[in-house]
Amino acid sequence: MNALFGGLTHFGALLFFALVVSLTFAFLSKRGTTERVKYALWAFLAFLLVAIGIGWFMYPFSQ
Amino acid sequence: MTKEAVKGNQKMGIVAGIAGWLVPGLGHLLLRRWSKAAVYFLCIGGLACAGLAMRGGVFGATAEDLFDRLGFMADLGAGIFYFLAHQIQMAGPDVAHATGDYGTRLFAAAGMLNLLTVLEAYDIGRSGEAR
Repeated sequence: MNALFGGLTHFGALLFFALVVSLTFAFLSKRGTTERVKYALWAFLAFLLVAIGIGWFMYPFSQ
Repeated sequence: MTKEAVKGNQKMGIVAGIAGWLVPGLGHLLLRRWSKAAVYFLCIGGLACAGLAMRGGVFGATAEDLFDRLGFMADLGAGIFYFLAHQIQMAGPDVAHATGDYGTRLFAAAGMLNLLTVLEAYDIGRSGEAR
C-alpha cells in the first residue's frame, strides 16, 4: 500500500480523490445504475475541470 | 431478499448510524443495502488507507486551536480507520513533504464522507424506505 500511494503525484492524488468521492456521491444521491453512472462521470469530470482550471488561473501568481 | 425486508424504526436508525460510523458501510450492510455497503467501504476505506499510506497526519483529541479541533472531528468520522491509524501506518505522519500533506486531506475527506453515509444509514434505518 505504501508503494502504491507513497509516491503519488499531486495529479495522481487528485484523480484518486475525484474517483472515490464521485462514486460515493453518486451512491448517496442517485438511484438506479444508469443515473449513478451518469452522475459519477459528471462529478469526476467536474472535479478535474475545476482543479485544472484553478491551476491555470493560479499559474501567473507562481511566477 | 428485497430492500424492504428491514422495517424502519428509530432504534434501527441509531444502530445503523453507529455501525456505519464504526465501520464504513456496516450500517448499510445491516439494512441490506449490499451495493451501497460495498461501495462505501471500498471508497471510504480506500481513501483513508491512501491518506495513511501517504503518511498524512491524524489529528488527536488534545488539539488546541480551532483548525486542529475541526481536523480531529473530520478524522474521527473515519471510525475504525481513525482508531487503527497507528497500526495501519506504523512509520507515522510526515507532513514536511507535499505527499504527507495530501494524505492528511485525504484522510479528513474520508471521515467527512463517512459522516454523510452515517446520516443516510440513520435515515434509511429510521424510515425503512428503499433508497
